This record gives sequence, C-alpha cells and structure tokens, in this order.
Amino acid sequence: MATNTPAKTTSSWMDGVRRWVNDTKIAGRPLMWYLTGWRFAVIAVVLAVLLPLITPDMYQDIQSLRVAMISVFVYVMLALGLNIVVGYAGLLDLGYVAFFVIGSYTMAAGTAGQINNWAGKLINIPSFPFILLLPVGAFLAGIFGVLLGAPTLRLRGDYLAIVTLGFGEIVPIVFQNIPIFFGQFGISATQPVPIETPLGELSFTDPLNSTPFYYLSLAVVVLVTLGVFMLRDSSIGRAWVAIREDETAAEASGVNLTNTKLLAFALGAFVGGIGGVMNTAYQPNIAPSNFSFSISITILIMVVLGGIGSIPGVILGALALRLFDVFLLQRINDPVHQSALVAPINAPLHFLAGIDFNTLKLLIYGIVLIIMILLRPQGLIPDARRRRELAGVGAAPEGMSAAGLLEQEEVGGDVLGAGESLDTTEYTGAGSDAQGRE
Amino acid sequence: MLTLAAVMVPSSVSPVTTFFQQIEIGVTLGAMYALVALGYTLVYGIIELINFAHGDVFMWSTVVTLAIVQAMPAVNPNNPLAVIGVLIMLIAVGMLVSGAINFSIERFAYRRLRKAPRLAPLIAAIGASFVLETIAQLWRGSSFVAFPSIFPDSRLSLGGFHISLLDVVILVLAIGLMLGLDRFIRLTKMGKAMRATAQDPEAAALMGVNINRTISITFIIGGALAGAAGVLYNLYIGQVWFFTGFQLGLIAFTAAVLGGIGNIYGAVLGGFIIGLVEALTIQYIPGGFAWADAVVFAILVLILVVRPSGLLGQQTPNKV
Amino acid sequence: MAQDQAQPLLQVRGLVQRFGGLAAVDGVDLDIMKGQIYSIIGPNGAGKTTVFNLITGIYKPTQGDISFEGRSIAGLRPDQVLRRGITRTFQNIRLFNNMTVLENVLVGQHTQLPGDVVSALFRLPNYRRAERHAEQRAIELLGFFGSSLVDQKDEYAASLSYAERRRVEIARALGSNPKLMLLDEPTAGMNDAETADAVQYIQRLRKEFNLSILLIEHKLQVTMGISDRIAVLDYGKKIAEGVPAEIQRDERVIEAYLGRKTAVE
Repeated sequence: MATNTPAKTTSSWMDGVRRWVNDTKIAGRPLMWYLTGWRFAVIAVVLAVLLPLITPDMYQDIQSLRVAMISVFVYVMLALGLNIVVGYAGLLDLGYVAFFVIGSYTMAAGTAGQINNWAGKLINIPSFPFILLLPVGAFLAGIFGVLLGAPTLRLRGDYLAIVTLGFGEIVPIVFQNIPIFFGQFGISATQPVPIETPLGELSFTDPLNSTPFYYLSLAVVVLVTLGVFMLRDSSIGRAWVAIREDETAAEASGVNLTNTKLLAFALGAFVGGIGGVMNTAYQPNIAPSNFSFSISITILIMVVLGGIGSIPGVILGALALRLFDVFLLQRINDPVHQSALVAPINAPLHFLAGIDFNTLKLLIYGIVLIIMILLRPQGLIPDARRRRELAGVGAAPEGMSAAGLLEQEEVGGDVLGAGESLDTTEYTGAGSDAQGRE
Repeated sequence: MLTLAAVMVPSSVSPVTTFFQQIEIGVTLGAMYALVALGYTLVYGIIELINFAHGDVFMWSTVVTLAIVQAMPAVNPNNPLAVIGVLIMLIAVGMLVSGAINFSIERFAYRRLRKAPRLAPLIAAIGASFVLETIAQLWRGSSFVAFPSIFPDSRLSLGGFHISLLDVVILVLAIGLMLGLDRFIRLTKMGKAMRATAQDPEAAALMGVNINRTISITFIIGGALAGAAGVLYNLYIGQVWFFTGFQLGLIAFTAAVLGGIGNIYGAVLGGFIIGLVEALTIQYIPGGFAWADAVVFAILVLILVVRPSGLLGQQTPNKV
Repeated sequence: MAQDQAQPLLQVRGLVQRFGGLAAVDGVDLDIMKGQIYSIIGPNGAGKTTVFNLITGIYKPTQGDISFEGRSIAGLRPDQVLRRGITRTFQNIRLFNNMTVLENVLVGQHTQLPGDVVSALFRLPNYRRAERHAEQRAIELLGFFGSSLVDQKDEYAASLSYAERRRVEIARALGSNPKLMLLDEPTAGMNDAETADAVQYIQRLRKEFNLSILLIEHKLQVTMGISDRIAVLDYGKKIAEGVPAEIQRDERVIEAYLGRKTAVE
C-alpha cells in the first residue's frame, strides 16, 4: 500500500505502533476495535475475574498479585470518588483522605470487638459483617462530605483547595485524640463476622483464601464504576459540567449551585468511604499515622495522570501507580539497600543506601504531577471534554470577555457586561457575596 | 507545632509575667510569620495565585542555612564580629536560596500555565510543594535536626520576664525588611510597576511595563522575604524539619488572608495577630501545642466564610 | 394589545441598587404586562444590565421590590427566579463552550428533569422517559430557528458562529418553559442581516411560546420597531417611558443620548 507519506525517522516508531494497532486483526476485527469503549471494559473485567484462577495466592503477602489487586481496587475507589469531586464538579478537594479515614475507622470500630469508652476503659462491643459495614461507612463518609464541603461552597478554587486540605489534616488528628479509637496506636479490625459462601468464608482475615474477598471487591468496583457512568451522563452530570464552565449561566439555567456542589462532595465522599471500609477489611490494623496528606496527593496524581474527568483514565492511573508502588518500589527497596551498603564507600551506589524508597516514591509522584500538568494536563486517557478545556482545542470565540495576559476562565466575573462602567466585582478573590460575585 | 514547645514559659513564673512573656513571644513569632505572609500576598496580588509551595520555599532556607552552619567551624557567641558576620551571611544565603527557588517555580511552572484554567497552576503548585518537601526529606531525613545556636544568650530580665538579644534582633531585622519593602513598593520604578501590574496587567503592559520581568521580581522578593524568615526561624526555634514549610505555610497563609490577601500592610498585621494567637493558645489551652494548628485553621475558615476580604481588604480593585 | 390585563406580569417599585457609595439603579419603577415586548434603553452605564441582574436574582436590591405574577421575587436566587418563570440571556453570550449545542439546551431544561440521585443512578423509568422527552424538546427548540442548529447539535458550542451562539443561548433559555424572557442586547455584534433576522425571531418567540419579553437594546431602530413600550434609563433613573413614538419625541431622551455623545445606531 504505497502512500505519499514521507518517511520520518524520528517518530517512525510511534507511527509504526499506531499502524500496527490499527492494522492487526484478531478474529477479523482490528485490534483497536477491542481496545475502545465498553468492549475494553468487558475484556478488563473478564481478565480480572480470571485472575485468581491463574495466579497463586500467597496469604497476606502484599506482593501476591491477587492481594495487590485488592489494594488496587481500593485505590480505584478513591480515584473514582475524587474524580467526581475534581473531575466532574471541578472542586479541588485536597483533604479527600478524610473520607477514606472515616470509612476505615467505621470498619475497624465495627469489627474490633473492643473499644475504649470515654473513661479509657476497654469495653466489648458487637461485631458486624463487612457487607453491613460497607454502606454504613459509605453513608457516614457521605454525611461528612456534606459537612466538610458546606463551608467551601462560595470559595474560589485556590481557597477551596487550602480549606479542604486543612480539613484533611484535621480529621485524622481528631481520630487520634478521641480515646475510644485508641489514639495514636490505632485500632484493629480483628473479628469480622464471617459469612459463608460457596467459595469459602467471605472475609479477608482468613489468610488462607483471599479469593472470595477479591471477587467481592471486584464486584464493588464494577458496580461503583457503572454508577459513576450513570451519574456522568445524567442531568446531574451535566449540571456539574455546567457549573465548571460557567457558574452564573448554570445558575441562570436553574441549577441550584449549593445542592449540586454538595451532591458532588457527598457522592465523592461516599465512594471514598467505600474505599476506606474495603481497605480496613484487608489491612486490619489502622492508625492515624497511616492517613496523611500524601494519600490525598497520591490519589490526585492518579486522577491527573490517568485523565481528569475520565473514568477509564482514573482507573488506569490508580492501577499504574499502585502496581508501580507495590511491585517496583517495594521490591527493589531491600535489594538496592543491601547492595548499596556493601558497595565501596566512595561508589555512587552507596549513597542509595540512605534513600528511603517511600520518600523517593513521593518525589517521583510530585515530579509526575508537575510534568503531567505542564505537558499533558488532560491525562493519559483523556475525557473528550476535558481535553478541549485543558489542551486548548477550540479557542474561545469572539464575544467572550477580553483575553489578557492573565486570562483565567473566571466564573461569575463580568456579570455587568461590557457596556457598564461600574466595576465592583474585583478584589474579593476569596469569596463572594450578594454584591460582588466572583 | 511541636517545635513551639520550645517557647513555652515555665510555670514557676507569675501569671501576669507569663501573659506578657507570651505577648513578647507572640510578637517575635508574628514578625517571622509576617515576612512569610508578605510573600504570599505579593504573589497573590500580582497574579491571583496562591503559591502553594511558598511554605516549602521558606523551609529550604532553613535547610540550606543549617547545612552551611554545620559545615563551618563553630561560631564563638562571645565574639560580636563573628556573630554579626555569620548572621549577615546566613541571611544573605537564605534570601538568595529562597528567592531563587521561588523564581524558578514561577519561571518554569507557573508562567507556562498563565492562560490555562485555574486548576492547572494550582496543581502545579501542589506538585512543586511536594517535590520540594520530598527532596528535603531525602537530603535531611524525616526527623528534626537541631540548629546550633550562634547567638550569645544575653537577655534583659525584669522579674521573670525576659527579652533576649535574639528576640530584639529578629524584630529589628524583620521590621527593617518590611520597611524596606514598603519603600521599594512605593518609591521605586519597579515597585510602581508591581502595583500597576497588580491592578491592571493589560494597562500596565500597554504603558510599557515588562510584565514577565515584574512578575519574576515579585516572586524573587517574596521568596527572599521567606528566606530571611527562615534564618530567623532557625535561630529562634532551633529545629529544622522538612515538613515545617507545610505547617508554617498554612499559618502564614492564614495571616495573609486575615489581613486581607493582596494587601501588604494586611499581611504584616495578620502575621502579628496570628503570632499572638499561637503563643496564647499554646500557653493557655491545655494540650495547646497540639491544637494550635487547629485554632489557626479554624480562624482561616472563619474569615473565608464571614469576611473573605480580611481585615484590611477592600471591595474595590486595589491590590498591593 | 395586552394592556387590558389588570395585573402586571412583572412589577418593579422603587428599585435601588448601591455599590459602595454609588447608586447604579436609583429608584426605578416598571410595569410589564403579559404579552408585551418591553424595552429598556439608555446610554452606557445607565444601569440597564444591573436592573436585569436584580430581576434575575444575581443581586439583592438595596431597596425596593420586584414582584412577578403578584409575588415578590426580590432577593431570590437566580435558580429560584428561573423556577418562577423568568429566564434570561446575557450581553456577552454565556454558553457552556465545552458542551455540545444539544447539551447546552438540555441544561436549560434542568428544572424540568428529575434531579435526584436515585433516578439517575438506577435509570428508573421516570428518568428515562424524562430524558427522552427532554432531548426531543431540545431538538424542537433548536428547530425553531431552522434546521441548521439541529444539524449542528453535536458540535461543541464554541465552534459556532456568533449569531448561532446567540440562538443557542435563547434555545437554552426556553428550556424551562418561561413566561418572561429577558434579552440583554440580543443583537449586539450582529450585522444588519443578522439583526433583521433576530428581530423576526424575537417576535416569533412572543407569539409561538406565549412569552412576554423584556429587552435591553442599543440599536434604536430595533427598539422602535419591535417594542410595545419603552423605558429610558439614565444614571440609574427612569427619565422617560411610553410607546416608541412618544420616546422618539421626548426631549430628555434626546438630550441624554446626544449630550453624552454616545454612538446611536
């Protein structure tokens, strides 16, 4: 098939890959056909379902693929939830970890069998099954989503980020200082109520068989993902995009800004709570020190890397980062340290001995975040709409407020229109009131 | 902040004296917070962006000056020339380091994102903050490192009330820098350019102001002020930690918002107020230093909900 | 004429809006009757858009009252005002640029759709029915302007021409089944042909959708030709009111325009 395309040596390998993907046929259809849309989702789910049957189970060893995938599922939950808040509603919630914490503590408290009462004495409490605690934890988190979101509603992006960040810091501190949860030592989910299934007992703490829990988590992930799709393509989803695009016009079209934003917070928190409950189910010992700002950032990076607002994107982001962490970093942490220590003092390798790979991981995350936002802000698997917004496809048409050096798509600005000479909307960047909308 | 435990007053002193001592402590802290808050406010005034990484810019000054002091032979506190010399050198280095880092963040990250939707530079700022923190953590470890004391321990005492030489030096230097900034903004050509750009960048550009250079200089100055604060902080608190930037950043940001973001006098006022609030919280609320952060944060939320323009903020376009 | 209705559809009394020390609107009274096309004109800075913003709830009046169908609406939120039956377009066309034309118009019908999570999540029958209906109606609304918008319904709003964007904005505004539509300079930026076209569809809007229309317009030919009544604002006060013929002859109006050396088309 001779064409006139000149041979470009520099990008020829990428063209080659693209051509191969487009041309290769499986069962009469091009490979690309399988990789898009719902067919890809079906394939992914089928693979996920088959996974436990084809890989060995190594008890609670995090490095068994099965267990690693459970932790991937947890992070997929968190990424999907944050995606609702950041990706759809456009609210940069940096304290998202708070909902994860609430879910985790709900599961822990519901299965620990014992907690401290306010006087510090140990008392017995009943245990509940995971299935019951899942919605409880999710709803509690959802309620907190509304509580923590409410004060932020009139704030502009930067301020909203900082306030949510503060909340995200404070929630673990509060749990740390409430004696019933054993303070900084944390609490352990020790006695979940067992539920029998044909595949075995349905609780992770049976170390001999993680398979039932794996399938349960997979089912939860699939259901939540479907739910998020449903939301995205609904009037609620459209309202979120409208708010992101132009709050004033959205409100003028009948969107109740407060309720719609709170709904985003609540639903995002709800999903985060699910993640938290799932997390404690398979990692039963939790302590406030586990929940730091770095988790909020990690989830944010998953969303940005994968694609803000894109469901397959954030799933990919969660998968990639989590597997990178579990399989690459954890695995090489010890061997590198070992060999670094025995290397001669002056060799460059030796300095690696002092490097904590957890910290290094965070550094890599930070760099990835910066690189992504600078070079490919729409993420690896972009959502079509966000790609337009972020990559600048489709310039702003005439009639928009004047572009300037510092043009920002400020919602609510310039309400008075180009003809009026009264400028009262400036200045209060931090918020708005009935007179000065920003 | 755990490090502030260092400034609590022993309980053997009378309540009145304790109160005044806390005021004195609060003012000293406030001076440092004000310097950092100024950095936030300057940057916000000119490009309407909260420089998330500003606290970490401050932190890097503390880390680098620590390294220098550790690499030097010990300073004899009784030799005034040596002390002054070292102090000047450290402040210069701190200001240079922080100014350079702040400049770089703007030049290589924020500038490219000036036309992007607001979410983008915000995320870039978060990424920058994270990178700065983790590099410091990798270099210096995760725990507190003590900063050797250079200053003589001379102090003026009245009953149980102390003002140490260090406190005075901090106050003098901080206020000197603030006055210097004020004169710079009001009297120099670049200062006028900064004010013009803050009010109306397009008009300023049409008048011939080099916007890029003005913004860069603003970042350098903002960073330098934080850098100076970093050195003073090292001398006062004596503990260096990779995460200080995060906490102090939040505190200084609250101060800037309290005073009215974009308003340099507001940043100074806010800094001192927050310093006092912190000192009094630590002393008078049981378990104070665990709750000090929460109190400051509560103030932030309160201001943003009740009076977002802050104390000195105005409803008309008039920034910096 | 719709003047035989006793009760005005929209009534504004003593409306004052102060920003700081300045009164943008300084004691304005208006009566708009059902079925009227009522125009507000005046030099730049006269306070016209502020009046719109007050009516639609973007500002809360410093003083005065606004009532619609006999009930007060002053101080309501914009989405509440919409639910009462008042809709608007903006001077500088505020479309959702990164949404398609169809999606834009669907957002306009937000209040007509079930907004609860459960219906959306489980795609209950009431939800599916409502969405289907909304999509049909959106296409109808676009079709009011002819087939070209319908053909472009899946294009992103940003890629349409200026005049087309204006029409989409109107289609969006119709989605809530309003009784009163506020059009803020609907022909701004249009050439003569587009303006004539706009005049036509504004009149058709009144007829086919049973709307009352409140208009801010700078092009005096348009205003004089299309309006049942006109109010003239200057410096926040109403300086004249009446039918077009009266306004054209009113000395205060002429002075307000010529005295300001404002461009009068």
